[in-house]
Amino acid sequence: MPDFVDILNALALMSNFVFVPALSYGAQLALGALGITLVFGILRFANFAHGDQMAFGTMVVVLVTFWLQAMGVSIDPVPTAFLALPIGIAVAILMSLGIDRTVYRFYRKRRVAPVIYVVASVGVMYLLNGLTRFVIGPDDQRFADGARFLINAREFKEMTGLAEGITIKVSQGLTVLISIIVVIALFWFLQKTRMGKAMRAYSDNEDLALLSGINPEKVVAVTWIIAATLATIAGTMYGLDKSFKPFTYFQLILPMFAAAIVGGIGQPVGAIVGGFIVAFSEVMLTYAYKKVALYLTHGGWEPEGLLQILSTEYKFAISFLILVVVLLVRPTGIFRGKVIT
Amino acid sequence: MKKVLLASSILALSAGLSGAAQAEVKLGVILGFTGPIESVTPGMADAAELAMKEVSDSGKLLGGETVVSVRGDSTCVDSAAAQAAAERLITSEGIAAIMGADCSGVTGAIANNVAVPKGIVMVSPSATSPALSTIEDNGYFFRTAPSDARQGQVLSDIAMDRGIKEIAVTYTNNDYGKGLADSFQAAYEAAGGKVSIVVPHEDGKADYSAEVGALAASGSEVLAVFGYVDQGGRGIIQSSLDTGAFGSFLIADGMTAESLLENFGDSIDGTVGTLPGTDSPGAAKFLEVAKSMGVDGDGPFRAESYDAAALILLAMQAAGSTDSAALKDKMLDVANAPGEPIYPGELAKALEIIASGGDVDYVGATAVELIGPGEAAGSYKELLVEGGKYTTVQIR
Amino acid sequence: MSLKNRTILSYAAVALLLILTGFLQSWSVTLVMINLCLISAIMALGVNIQWGYAGLFSAGTVGFTAVGGLAGVLISEAPIYEAWGVGGTGLAITVALLVTLVATIFGVMTLMTPGWKRRWVLTGTVLIGYFLIRLFFDEATDAIEKVDPASAGFLGGLGLPILLSWPVGGLLAALVAWGIGKVSLGLRADYLAIATLGIGEIVIAVIKNEDWLSRGVKNVAGLDRPVPREIDLQESPEFISWVERIHSGALEALTGDERAQALRDFVQYDSGIFVKLCFMALFAVVLLILFWLAQRSLNSPWGRMMRAIRDNEVAAEAMGKNVTKRHLQTFILGAAVVGIAGAMLTTLDGQLTPGTYNPLRYTFLIWVMVIVGGSGNNHGSVIGAFLIWFAWVQAEPAGAWFLDLVTSPLAEDNPVRLHLLDSAAHMRPFLMGLVLLLVMRFSPKGILPEPVRVGR
Repeated sequence: MPDFVDILNALALMSNFVFVPALSYGAQLALGALGITLVFGILRFANFAHGDQMAFGTMVVVLVTFWLQAMGVSIDPVPTAFLALPIGIAVAILMSLGIDRTVYRFYRKRRVAPVIYVVASVGVMYLLNGLTRFVIGPDDQRFADGARFLINAREFKEMTGLAEGITIKVSQGLTVLISIIVVIALFWFLQKTRMGKAMRAYSDNEDLALLSGINPEKVVAVTWIIAATLATIAGTMYGLDKSFKPFTYFQLILPMFAAAIVGGIGQPVGAIVGGFIVAFSEVMLTYAYKKVALYLTHGGWEPEGLLQILSTEYKFAISFLILVVVLLVRPTGIFRGKVIT
Repeated sequence: MKKVLLASSILALSAGLSGAAQAEVKLGVILGFTGPIESVTPGMADAAELAMKEVSDSGKLLGGETVVSVRGDSTCVDSAAAQAAAERLITSEGIAAIMGADCSGVTGAIANNVAVPKGIVMVSPSATSPALSTIEDNGYFFRTAPSDARQGQVLSDIAMDRGIKEIAVTYTNNDYGKGLADSFQAAYEAAGGKVSIVVPHEDGKADYSAEVGALAASGSEVLAVFGYVDQGGRGIIQSSLDTGAFGSFLIADGMTAESLLENFGDSIDGTVGTLPGTDSPGAAKFLEVAKSMGVDGDGPFRAESYDAAALILLAMQAAGSTDSAALKDKMLDVANAPGEPIYPGELAKALEIIASGGDVDYVGATAVELIGPGEAAGSYKELLVEGGKYTTVQIR
Repeated sequence: MSLKNRTILSYAAVALLLILTGFLQSWSVTLVMINLCLISAIMALGVNIQWGYAGLFSAGTVGFTAVGGLAGVLISEAPIYEAWGVGGTGLAITVALLVTLVATIFGVMTLMTPGWKRRWVLTGTVLIGYFLIRLFFDEATDAIEKVDPASAGFLGGLGLPILLSWPVGGLLAALVAWGIGKVSLGLRADYLAIATLGIGEIVIAVIKNEDWLSRGVKNVAGLDRPVPREIDLQESPEFISWVERIHSGALEALTGDERAQALRDFVQYDSGIFVKLCFMALFAVVLLILFWLAQRSLNSPWGRMMRAIRDNEVAAEAMGKNVTKRHLQTFILGAAVVGIAGAMLTTLDGQLTPGTYNPLRYTFLIWVMVIVGGSGNNHGSVIGAFLIWFAWVQAEPAGAWFLDLVTSPLAEDNPVRLHLLDSAAHMRPFLMGLVLLLVMRFSPKGILPEPVRVGR
């Protein structure tokens, strides 16, 4: 039988390799999926360019951060990137509004089918993809500074005397914290402000909203502002945690889409829940539970294999498997999606 | 170049764009400037162009020809676009030889379908797939990076000698990583080691915590990382250190670079790695030369790229012609003993020796020795990270 | 201008572009480009069947291409008996278990009434089945992959001529499309896009990671070829004498070594051209057949029905048309066409490299071709494919030239200029995005719009 320490060790092990990483990864996905879901709710199309919009905003943050670092500005232990974040968001907003003005508004006026928007967003995706690389190049950029760890595995072991340690990085802590703040702010905005209510009404029924005097162009503009803000924050948090590379950001749209749909597209709560579902299932289904089993049986059972449900090659397939299952069983997602409520 | 003129004469045309090609020697640099390894390739191209500049500046190649680099995008993955680029460089730009390509897939496609049929010498700095050793290349295909089969054996020997009896392996999910992991596993298990888990990682993906979690659960003390230093490989090491999963690593040539230490410093002390080369001073000289020319010489496959370009140019000098058919036969002569050893930065001297009928043994940055099928023999330095610095333990 | 004239003019413009390439760059480049254009045109036809005929936005094109490419290996590689010996039994058991599992699931579905109980039983069956299958499957594939991993490590194929893989690739892709369609058709349009994007990625992940099937990322190189190899031609006396005859005029003036040298160059150059022409003929035949079929179907009652469904699903449904079934049909047909093109691509490359299959290149680029060419118009797809592939290949040199021009006022070693020149390769996605957006904005129907059909 396992004793108390064994159980604690198993818990620490799971926290270190499953809960903590999945939590911060989930928060990053959730922020991205929120942007996708908002655009979907208001403009009614799946924005394939979201990943590259993230990359673009983050690129500005990275460049400003480099400049600040060169000037010797620092807000240790918080990463300098946070100083640069507002500028990045501002530029990303301008970019998004500019794209809307030049690309999407034309189709909105003609009330074309949603698929046309999707194809247009593919065009924007290519464009931003090239633009980002023109400016900053395809290289990996590391712009994180400040303190690295909240808790470090070695310290944790010394502190608790357990055999297994837990690490929590500053970037992980910040990611979760910022996500919570952003989500609260967003919900407050959608529920309490005039503009937020207008957006929800517009998302619910466009024609009725127009009749009640809501200016659609304004709603759309605000949507892009929020989406660009979310994208830049998500991209920056992701970049701080890992590193900035344009190619990675394009790859991110797959799990983010999965998160948005699984949760119920158009549903902010759904996007958040979806983000965590995707992140946790990716990590949990591919984790090898051998060591945990060892602790829990007090070393009594040493399994032959690694007790891995699915090999990591297919980890991203998991999000789509969930996606397909959800679409089959409950096509509107976990929280009945389509409109923002 | 001659072929273009010929093609033009066949069609009774004056080739507008390539008319100016006569005055200079053009070398194609075909690498994946876009696509999955787009962050690795600019450094490789710079290194190759460094060798070209060195030769041009010396004014000694074939009586003072200048060498011009023509870049082409192999995209690393899209063989169709890569072949189109190679075709254009050869038939339109009139390049004399190709420094490239990078990924084994596109390299095979270009070699089989474009370079060999057209009789153009191609020297890949980084395609390490053992399958390329056996392509029908008519002697036109070379590489300065040894085949994976060799490096896997070396890595296994290192692990065994260090008393590592059990190891977890992660590799970048492409032919380089997979090939290396396969050959390592085979050699290691044959020597009595135990590979506890093999986990591939995709480069450029969002998150590696799942991979590290699985690797850590294997219970092994050491992790073998066969990836790229600025890609998933670094992500894996970062995540392993952060979570305390692994403290020391066994790394291969795609990882063994200064930038690894810039990132991790002494936190990866005890890590052992391989780097093609011998104890010859070539590697250090290459970094020095690169620095003096304002190029960062440190990074995966940069030294190999420099050597690839240098070898082509020296072979040209030896053949007395830019014709690939002639220079392909000189490649082994200039790369191997006997002769005066040549290090990076000494290309001018080498050109002079060859011009005066002497023999050179190009050592270069990675101590190149070309063997039978036109590939590097594969001497490796065993490097140990101590106090945040690489120290050479021995040569294998 | 009438659509007919417009079509003729477009073809003429494409021909002119290719001829210009021949003059300005080289004819070899032109031929390489034409071959890829032909394959792209077939892919675009496939996507046009899905999108133009039925309005289905599938982002899984890359998956069908890959499945088609896989057929090239499965058909043409020689079987590896040793691998079959060590893993064959295990695989057979796996298949048997899989069939049993599916049968059980069907049994449960028909025998039990829907509800929570059935869900639990189903979940349990699937889980038990999964682990049982993994048990046999993992052992079998491990054994197969251990057979000479550097050059084999997979089951091999059937050892048949690779030309057979073209129809087989189409069939395989159709099969996969049937599965995907069953799951995801019936979803609203952009859900379908996302679901197919994901499933396409899964298909590629399978091809990348199932080494026992096609060596995964280690690639299978040196595939069979339906046309002679250049290096064989260069040694064939018949070919050499044939070249001699063609160039007798140019060779006459030369003697001795010079003549031998010139002849060698001629042979080398012509062998490349000859092989490319052979490929071109094969591809053109396939394109013509498929194009003819596509045109026939578009103008048939079936095509009329499809347009009716596309333009107003509700009305068509009210008229008694089974919309979901028709959608599935078109989806499968389009996928099959893409699969054929995928197999052709593998044949042309002479190797299967799963790393190649990237959605930017094989899904979205094909989309750009269809939309720029004019969705719903088969000629448009062909024109779009030719133009976009041309732009895709030429964007790199054109980008370099353009940036050189733009930055020429700056000094040679100006960092901005150097940085931009280094980025020339990224002109490609930028240009594609720009072309797509401009066409969609100013000519939303594409270069060749769908013909307006007036009812009689």
